[in-house]
Amino acid sequence: MADVDSAVKEAVVEALALDDDEVTPDSTLMDDLGAESIDLLDILFRIEKSTGVKIEASDLGDHIQGGIPDDEFSDADEVITEKGAEQLKKVMPQTDPSELAGSLKAEEVITLFTVQNLTEMVKARSDGAG
Amino acid sequence: MERLERLVQDDESRQRRLFTTRELDYCRGKRRQYEHLAARFAAKEAVLKAFGTGISQRMRWTEVEVLNEESGRPRVELTGSVANFAERHGLTDVDVSLSHSEGLAVAQVLTVWKTDR
Repeated sequence: MADVDSAVKEAVVEALALDDDEVTPDSTLMDDLGAESIDLLDILFRIEKSTGVKIEASDLGDHIQGGIPDDEFSDADEVITEKGAEQLKKVMPQTDPSELAGSLKAEEVITLFTVQNLTEMVKARSDGAG
Repeated sequence: MERLERLVQDDESRQRRLFTTRELDYCRGKRRQYEHLAARFAAKEAVLKAFGTGISQRMRWTEVEVLNEESGRPRVELTGSVANFAERHGLTDVDVSLSHSEGLAVAQVLTVWKTDR
């Protein structure tokens, strides 16, 4: 299997037609790099081809939410709860639960997802598969 | 359109991750099947954006299905987590129009909701 760090970076660079130095581990896929849903598909297909790890777009949400039910992850206004923010910290360690709980909308969570977060997800999947 | 074609061309598994059997059957019967598939992909994306969820919800592309009436008029059917989201938030109607030509696929979606979201 290809080295996961370089495989993910290469997938992002090629799918988004960026220069190598434009993509860092801390870059958020959507906000910083401007990925749209078809770009995300392209990235995931490229990662699957190079690493053999299959990730569906819908898996990202499942991974981020970590099995927490919707009504515990966010409140009636779709704002992340403390429990939701603690979960985010596990899969997106760069986030600060005290800043996110009670302010971040659930639909905005994906905008914080970085290249490094995706890399760690691919690694976890490849460990699980192997 | 070219991009979607490149992503799914001659790849059954990828096509089935994005499109339902009914969508594939319809488009494969067309001379320019990838134009039809690209328009449907654009419609799915437009529906999800109209929901304000984009790709952030744990949706599957196949949960937004773009079908055609006998007249040819497109209509949208929702299933799974997308249907649940729509029901929870009071969606009453989705209207979609598709167009594709010259390498570009465009979809317009109008959603009607019972209450403010």
